[in-house]
Formats: sequence, C-alpha cells, structure tokens
Amino acid sequence: MTADAFLFWFLAFVTVVSGLSVILMVNPIYSALSLAMTMIGVAAIFVTLNAYFLAGVQLIVYAGAVMVLFVMVLMLFDLKHEIQAFTRGRLTGAIKIASVGILSGLIVGAVTMGLKTPVVITASSDVAAAPTVDTTRALAENLFIKNVLGFEVLGVMLLVIAVGAVALSRSKGGTHARD
Amino acid sequence: MLETSIFTEITLNHYLVLSAIMFSLGMAGVLLRRNLIVLLMSIELMLNAVNISFVAFSHYMGKIDGQVMVFFVMTIAAAEAAVGLALAVSIFKRFKEVNIRFFEHLKG
Repeated sequence: MTADAFLFWFLAFVTVVSGLSVILMVNPIYSALSLAMTMIGVAAIFVTLNAYFLAGVQLIVYAGAVMVLFVMVLMLFDLKHEIQAFTRGRLTGAIKIASVGILSGLIVGAVTMGLKTPVVITASSDVAAAPTVDTTRALAENLFIKNVLGFEVLGVMLLVIAVGAVALSRSKGGTHARD
Repeated sequence: MLETSIFTEITLNHYLVLSAIMFSLGMAGVLLRRNLIVLLMSIELMLNAVNISFVAFSHYMGKIDGQVMVFFVMTIAAAEAAVGLALAVSIFKRFKEVNIRFFEHLKG
C-alpha cells in the first residue's frame, strides 16, 4: 500500500467518523467539536488533491470563523438539558433513515457505474501522470480574469448579508432591539 | 486483482463515494436531529461533501474551474451560517428553546 492510498483511507476514516459523531452526539458542543474535526479532515483531503489554497481557506474560514460562530451561539443558549435530541416516532424515523439510505445507495451505485466508463479512467490516469501545476496561481488567474464578475457579485452579496444580519438583530425581538 | 487495486489505487471514484457518504450523513442529520444549531451544522456538512467532489473533479480532470466554484460555495456557506445563527438567536429569544419541536406557529 502506497503512502497516498494510506493517507486517503486514514483521512476518509477520520472524516466519516467525525461526521457521524456530529449527528450522533446528544450534546451540541460535542457536535460542534466533531464538526471542527471534520473540517480539518476535509482540509487535509484538499491537500492530497493539490488544492493548497483551498485547504488554507477551509482551515481559516470553516475550522476558524464558522466554528467559533457556532460555539459562541451555543454558549449563548442554556443547553444543559436537551429534550429529545432526535425525532420521535418509529415509523417516520424509519422512513427518514430509509430515504437517506436510498439516496446514498443511488449515489454510490451511480459512481460505481461510472467506474466502468473509460472516459473518467483515462482522464484520471492522464492527469495523475502529469506534473502538479501551481494550482494557487491558476486559481487566482481564473478567479480574477474569467470569473471576476462572480467575484464582484459575491462581494455585494456579502455586504447585503452583513447589513441584513445587523438589521435582523436590531429588529423587534432581536438581540439588540430598539426600545 | 480488482479487489486489491481498489484499496491501493486511489481514483476519482473513491473521493466521489466519500463525498456521497458525507452528504448522506448531513442529510440524515437534517432529517433526524431536532436542535436548530445541529441542523445548521448538518447543512455545513453537506456543503463540505459537495466541495470534496468539486475539488476531486477539478484535480482529476485537470481543470481549475471546480476550485473556483468551491471558493464561491465557501463564501456563501459562511454567509449562510451567519444569517442562520442570527435567526437562531432571535428564535431562541422568542421561544426560549432551540428544539424545533416547539416551533408550532407555522402549523396549520
């Protein structure tokens, strides 16, 4: 077994186990910590795929900012005792789990069907043989030349969302409501 | 021969299956949990699963556009978390509860 394969299996195991514990932990703080571990695992998977810039952004934005936001909001709430962390009802629960199982089965089936088509395999072996390019430079060139309009629109959207979040907290019933 | 190469040779399909498993975990969290914050966390899990498949396709196809899309998805996900948590705080102030079982004002 090569180092690449071992790394992939290790990271897949860490990611799936911590993702599973996000939805199985009853205490939301433990869920948040498991989610942080999942984010770190995903960042490491990005590194194995040569997406170094995205791995850094993943660590800073998700494992840093978003997780701090989640944990801080959890600290605001008094959640020492949680009533019914999971949904009630055996029948509806069974239906929900079955629908999740059907979805995952469909996706995995589609992917393994795609294994047989030669297009994906030739493309993957082709690129795997090629030397790794500087993906950060290519990403910047694509982002600021080809997709610059989307980048600007994203900036405007962030401004709108910042204003909206402030307005939400200032509105009636918000955290900083005007008297 | 085929069974051994599945474990030693990592292809695009491995990443896609991992992404599918993580997406299904997030979906199970949204369907099964009742805590508003854990619901938001499960949505983040699903967005991350999609990011993995974007980056895997970008790497194996040799095109950078997938990574640009992941960049956009990350921005939107951070914004969505901010708005969702602001809504969660105002809901908590109103109902004194984050369990969605108690949000019955929209019930007919």
